[in-house]
Amino acid sequence: MKFLLKIYWMIFKMKLVLRIFIIFLVFLKGQPVFAQNGRDKVEALRIEYINKSVELTPPEAEKFWPVYNEYNDKIRAIRKNLRQSYRNRSENLSDKEAEQLYTLFLQTKQVEADIHKQYNERLKTIIGAKKMVKLHVAEEEFRIKVMKSIKGEND
Amino acid sequence: MLVFISLFFLFPGIKAQTTYDSLNVKLPKHYFNTVIVLDAYRKPERNFKDTSDALSRRLKSYGIKQFSFSFYTPLYTSDKTTPDGTIRNTHLLLTANYLSLRPVFGGLTEHNLVKFGVGMRYVYNTGKKGVWFVDLSPFVTRDATYPSSRPYYRMASTIVYSHNVSDKFNWRVGATKSFMWGNRFYLPFLGLRIGRLDKVHISIQFPRSASLNIPMGSMLMFSVYSRPQGGMFNFSNADSLYFMRSTKTFHFTRFEVNSGFRLDVRLGSHFNFYVASGFSTRNNVMFYSDNANKRRTGSYNKYFYQKNIAPTLYFNFGVVLKFGKTRAYYNNKNIYDATDLNNTVNPNSNGNVQIPLTPKKKKSDLNLKSVEDLVDYNDF
Repeated sequence: MKFLLKIYWMIFKMKLVLRIFIIFLVFLKGQPVFAQNGRDKVEALRIEYINKSVELTPPEAEKFWPVYNEYNDKIRAIRKNLRQSYRNRSENLSDKEAEQLYTLFLQTKQVEADIHKQYNERLKTIIGAKKMVKLHVAEEEFRIKVMKSIKGEND
Repeated sequence: MLVFISLFFLFPGIKAQTTYDSLNVKLPKHYFNTVIVLDAYRKPERNFKDTSDALSRRLKSYGIKQFSFSFYTPLYTSDKTTPDGTIRNTHLLLTANYLSLRPVFGGLTEHNLVKFGVGMRYVYNTGKKGVWFVDLSPFVTRDATYPSSRPYYRMASTIVYSHNVSDKFNWRVGATKSFMWGNRFYLPFLGLRIGRLDKVHISIQFPRSASLNIPMGSMLMFSVYSRPQGGMFNFSNADSLYFMRSTKTFHFTRFEVNSGFRLDVRLGSHFNFYVASGFSTRNNVMFYSDNANKRRTGSYNKYFYQKNIAPTLYFNFGVVLKFGKTRAYYNNKNIYDATDLNNTVNPNSNGNVQIPLTPKKKKSDLNLKSVEDLVDYNDF
């Protein structure tokens, strides 16, 4: 009898732990902080696509990826900065604020172009001009794939 | 000179030229996230088969309840670009861990043996093939059930050089001072990995672990592994297990070799959990008196009790929380390797949560929010 009670108590405890865990998971799934980060997924897919398309040799890959990641970090950061500035604009934009936003837009585009140039030069010394062209093509192809996918024309 | 200064004032545009730095954009500083691991480990009680000695008859059986908390956070990261375009970096991490071990002896009241430590890790990525890794983990152990028992201060440490021959093959060599095998051992650290860290790979890291890891999409990682688990703890002599009753504390050591499977589930960017189970073999328990081993600087060798217990099942469950944003390190094999080293040396493996796995291509994953950094308004 005592043995059966012990087993029953163990099963009860296990069920309780399982229920608490399921509730915990359901709760977490509803929280934005725990949601699957779609951006990370797309970024991982993009990197995989470039990796396959550019066909880097191991010594090239060793140097290429740290620089390419740094380049992407910077581009993402300045685009995010611009996007947030536009999103945070007040509804009744004053002339001064509009002027500031406009200047920021131009500055961002200019800096983006500078970063493109600077890092493309660095990357070219690592992988050469031919593979740089492959890289540009891969980036563009992936962008088109994503756009088609969003529009529902996924292949 | 005067002409140059006048030009500078005549054309303020020269001074105001926008650069990346002038936009004052914030980039993440570190390559490592702050990671917290909560880990629960159980081994059911087994009776001692050989009860020819008085202590075994008194202890009756042995099992384990263990809970641990470990944490690391990056403190300092520095990048340096060499003239040939290679990026080198240095990382300094702060680590902390807390472990509560409750060895279950059927004949004794439960003891809560606590271990707490705060340490530092230094990682140097040469930017070429090698990664240097140094871990210093001072810790204190005590029997928290009996405050009169004496705490004991110890130091675990590891130094490893890891060489990435390619992203599919890596070897490691180093040395470690570890208590994981149930004693104070100075051991060589020898590692070998075949396969990419984000794909199917075999990893043998003596004396830490051997595993076969199989990623299943971007959310699951299945592993078959074998690893030792153990430690050296202070145990109160309140039960008078040691014959000299005036001695308040002795050393309780245990180790076992756990062989089984583990499933890591990556539920999101910040939350993961894992379950593991299998057989626990070579279960060993030893009691060392402090007096007899006081002058020893190497491993302890004078024990007053030693027992091997029959193999048993074990259960392990853990939750991994990841905080903060990091710099991008996709396909950066040295950062992947540094992450793996950090994970291998950690008392609780976090399942290499920082190494991204390639997701399955799902149409539903793609939306504008996901790609806003990739696209330009001209794309529409």
